[in-house]
Amino acid sequence: MAFLEIDQVSFTYPKHDKPVLTEIDLQFDRAGITAVVGPNGCGKTTLTKLMIGVLQATEGEIRLTGRPIADFSLAEIGRRVGYVFQNPDLQLFCGTVAEEVGFGPANLGYEPAAVAERVGFYLDYFELTAYRNTFPMHLSHGEKQRLAIAAVLANEPDFLILDEPTTGLDAYRKRLLEDYLKKIARSGRGMILVSHDTAFVDRVAERVIVLENGRVIEDSRRKGKAADEA
Amino acid sequence: METVMVRGLNYRYHPGGPLVLKDISFQVAGGEMVAVTGLSGCGKSTLCFCISGAARHNRDGVMSGDVLLNGKDTRELRAAELALEVGMVFQDPETQLFSPTVEDEIAFAPENLCLPTAQIRERVDHALDLLGIAALREANPYKLSGGEKHLVALAAVLALDPPVLLLDEVMSQLDRAGKKRVAAALQRLRDMGKAVIAVEHNLEAVSFADRLLVMEKGTLLCDEPTASFLADRVFLNTRGLL
Amino acid sequence: MKLDPRAKMVMALCLSGLALVYNSPLHLLLLLAVTVALLLSFRFELSAIGSYLKPFLSLMLFLFLIQCLFSPSGRVLLAVGTLPLVTTGGLLTGAGVVLRIVVVTAAAMLLATFSSRDFILGLVQWKVPYELAFMVFIALRFLPVFRDELVNVVTAVQLRGVDLKKVPWGQKIAMYSRLLFPVIYGAMLKAQRLAVSMESRGFRVYPRRTYLRRLNFRFVDYMVMLVFPVITIMLIVLQVS
Repeated sequence: MAFLEIDQVSFTYPKHDKPVLTEIDLQFDRAGITAVVGPNGCGKTTLTKLMIGVLQATEGEIRLTGRPIADFSLAEIGRRVGYVFQNPDLQLFCGTVAEEVGFGPANLGYEPAAVAERVGFYLDYFELTAYRNTFPMHLSHGEKQRLAIAAVLANEPDFLILDEPTTGLDAYRKRLLEDYLKKIARSGRGMILVSHDTAFVDRVAERVIVLENGRVIEDSRRKGKAADEA
Repeated sequence: METVMVRGLNYRYHPGGPLVLKDISFQVAGGEMVAVTGLSGCGKSTLCFCISGAARHNRDGVMSGDVLLNGKDTRELRAAELALEVGMVFQDPETQLFSPTVEDEIAFAPENLCLPTAQIRERVDHALDLLGIAALREANPYKLSGGEKHLVALAAVLALDPPVLLLDEVMSQLDRAGKKRVAAALQRLRDMGKAVIAVEHNLEAVSFADRLLVMEKGTLLCDEPTASFLADRVFLNTRGLL
Repeated sequence: MKLDPRAKMVMALCLSGLALVYNSPLHLLLLLAVTVALLLSFRFELSAIGSYLKPFLSLMLFLFLIQCLFSPSGRVLLAVGTLPLVTTGGLLTGAGVVLRIVVVTAAAMLLATFSSRDFILGLVQWKVPYELAFMVFIALRFLPVFRDELVNVVTAVQLRGVDLKKVPWGQKIAMYSRLLFPVIYGAMLKAQRLAVSMESRGFRVYPRRTYLRRLNFRFVDYMVMLVFPVITIMLIVLQVS
């Protein structure tokens, strides 16, 4: 049984005629990095929102660890699947950068010392330590993007979905992110990456799914990407 | 006369705060395009804010040095008057789209300029065609995808038809087709004699720029023809730009 | 049926004006029937009224109870000792208050049956200063955006693994109050950025601006704008005298 199964899923926004996604059939294991690519407006973001239960499929079913996703609460999904939104503004809600990273672990019931340790680690890795006490909305776009990723990673979920994680990142930070994502993949966790950044996708993805007009037109494996570095 | 003239520009967000821009000087002529790059947090967006005059909205901000547009001191122009000199596409498309349809969004600027209806329509059609988004005309901008929003925001500024165009990382969310169309549009604007300043991380996306400005920690590291830069991969690599 | 937005604005004003004048549930029910009929003729989805009123349900219940208790008249239906608790008059007044809120909300929905662009055009062609028209428009436009923003934050909080349904009330209130400031501050920052972006596209560069489109009155619009106010004034005079 796959970790995440998408079974004949179609989706149409309410009050619209044209479906955004049509008969999508995909399986994801808790391993490796999968990229979802395709032109602007082809339904990539909608697909990931269905996977985390923020949107509900019009037809078909999505199952997480074998159970229909509709049976999970958002929080239950969130503990299994970390989701990084395309727009970092939509997911930063704390008063300081450090609080933002610590929010997940603190609410998952970790001891304050353990939370502080994780916060320290992730701030350090994503080079945000200098902004520890800054109000997140005051950061530059690239910094917000890094913070959003750090805050989700700090929860250490089994599976990750990242929507356009490289926007606003410079080449150096992209490489940091690449290294980290590969490291996560090697630790036996799965990942879906939505991106236009073909160079980045080429470097990290083992499997590439191409969406066009709401349909999967290609689903190919590129052998030995993260694996060859293990 | 240079269309954009930046001379000894310093900026800090708060009095006593760190200098975000340190003694920046450069010029851009009409019919010229420069790309500005550097690691995030190096001051690229702040530079855009200073040139576009948006920085004045931050009352705490302290700016010294000159920014001249077509010879006019930006400090002596009202915010709306600045719009006649420079158009800016901001990084975050969400906060620059507010109209019920894409068409209205693009018509907003020429309407402000008091153009007659026929000319407004002409500018709207032209901007839609130039960026290949005519199909989105009746769409609600708020419901578009991230990349499409960027294209609409750019179209809305193109309809303003300013002599100077500033773009803050507009390419980053576009697919290949979108990048190509924006690149073609920018080259055409340059040929029409506009001064174009594009902030971008992805150097390949702006390889057609005439000059490349590299910033680091608030200073202008260098300002040279793009071709010689892209050839110098060692330099780009050591600066973390490749 | 297609009507000029200005005609619809007049309609909405007349209907809510009458709702404020009438007290009896019967009159208000009639008024509601007229409003709903109009909404249906503009192909408005009535369920939207429900979703707008839903957050105010508890407030409406509260108002109903207060009116029931504190304006006793007519036959006593339930009493504690000599103190009348529920009276026929109180029930009617309570029902009237609630119905009035429903009618005013429904009448306001008439304004949702045309696009916000037409709203601006309507106001501007009525010589309302365009700065003011845009201010109202932006406020109206961003109310739902602000609501979405709150929904987004609540979603984001849950996706970080917090089950809001299972958090005890005390903790929940503490969490919400901690989240409230960043959300409000974030919204203010966005509003400021929006203002900057509007100005950077030449908003208010001249005391006047032109428009891509124009609204034109048709015969029905003139009729509506004549008939509605006349009937309203007549009804008000009848009611008051």
